[in-house]
Amino acid sequence: MLFFKRGRVPGARSWELKTGLGKGYAKILEQLDENLKDLDLEVKKVEPQSQSDFKQGPEAGEEESRYFVRLKGTLAPKEARLCGWRIDNLAALAAALVLVVSKQGKSERKELETVIGNKAGRWRALTLMDTFLRSGYLEEDEEGLVKLGWRTRAELDLPSLMMLLAESTASSPESSEPVEDDQASIEG
Amino acid sequence: MTTTEKVHRFSGKRELEELIQTCVSIENRRFNPFLLDIAEALSIIRQHSNQLRTLDDHLLDMRAITSVARVVGLQSAHLRFQSSSLFIDPSMVKQKLDSLSREQLAEFLLLSWHPIVELEQLTLASTKEAKEFWERMLSFFERRKRLHLGPFDNPEATNLAELAKMRVVDEKAYTRKMQDLWNELKKRAGEDETVDYWDFIKASNFAQTVTRAQLVSFLVSYGYANLQRKDNTMFLVPKAKPHPHPEGSPLSFPIPITKEALVRAK
Repeated sequence: MLFFKRGRVPGARSWELKTGLGKGYAKILEQLDENLKDLDLEVKKVEPQSQSDFKQGPEAGEEESRYFVRLKGTLAPKEARLCGWRIDNLAALAAALVLVVSKQGKSERKELETVIGNKAGRWRALTLMDTFLRSGYLEEDEEGLVKLGWRTRAELDLPSLMMLLAESTASSPESSEPVEDDQASIEG
Repeated sequence: MTTTEKVHRFSGKRELEELIQTCVSIENRRFNPFLLDIAEALSIIRQHSNQLRTLDDHLLDMRAITSVARVVGLQSAHLRFQSSSLFIDPSMVKQKLDSLSREQLAEFLLLSWHPIVELEQLTLASTKEAKEFWERMLSFFERRKRLHLGPFDNPEATNLAELAKMRVVDEKAYTRKMQDLWNELKKRAGEDETVDYWDFIKASNFAQTVTRAQLVSFLVSYGYANLQRKDNTMFLVPKAKPHPHPEGSPLSFPIPITKEALVRAK
């Protein structure tokens, strides 16, 4: 139930697991988590998203929590490339996520496109934003504001990402040059 | 109602609308929620509370109160966020993003990223659907008949020259084409060491001209030649040895290929 994708979103909801495994499903998941350690995998529980800026904690019930199986460790750049991720795209996703987090979880789409554009080129920024929205890393609400998506909540350790950014020091000026549009479009 | 009262009401309405607009901008993350002085906002609402006459006035007053309440909520959320480990000022984040390289940013993401394991699989329902589709599908020859394509020719073998003629494959590899064009450019530059850009890219037809322009753009990007501008004229200067820029072309210079420019070229 956790490994196989049955709908648009992978993983399984609490109530699905309860129906399939019975009331003691939490213990079974704990055991599964223990067994998956050898494969460098883990079971991750994602609470349902809080609907409001002002309320703390999950407001939907435990029944709506979703469980995923994810990599316990992290990927090396080479491994990420083998999964089909380009360095540009990873950098763009990092930039988009930290900006949204710094703005308390919501940011204007245009602002995000400008920030991504500085790293990946203006035209690629538009397509990358669509890709991030489609894959669930970001979500757009009815007011047109972009917020963190379900996949970010499941896959990203945001405190670690923010900490790395806060502790970082700038690289040499050559490597931080923005990408020219033509160069980006040739690559992509 | 006296004229003074009317003016008073009008200015009050405008103030409330401005207050609502500010609150909306704060909600849309354009400004820091603490930009709004809540005490001042409430005093504005209070000041105009005795001028509420119509239903619209009351609705406006209500909208102003709820907008201020939302901003108070955002201020509370902001304080909670500031005390969490995720807090970094957005302007500082932007500065950091500008100064960091793509490689550094990608590395940060990779160090905090635990991708989900997702497996695609066949389900009984999708297998059944596929089987039904396959069984219902007409044979290749039946489907071909519907397209009225005439008699069917059996597949034949062909060679590269034939495919090149059909424009399915290129006769020469791209790098080879660039090399040939570079040699041509050096030859045509001669002792002057420059060639007019438009003279050089112009070919017998438009498609060929565009192809040559594209090849020339790569010659310049990869450091095989320089593009110089003098007044309204552009010149190509071939280099004896290619000098590639490791970090890519330092600037982008779009050249529209217009009919007028081609006519002007010899």
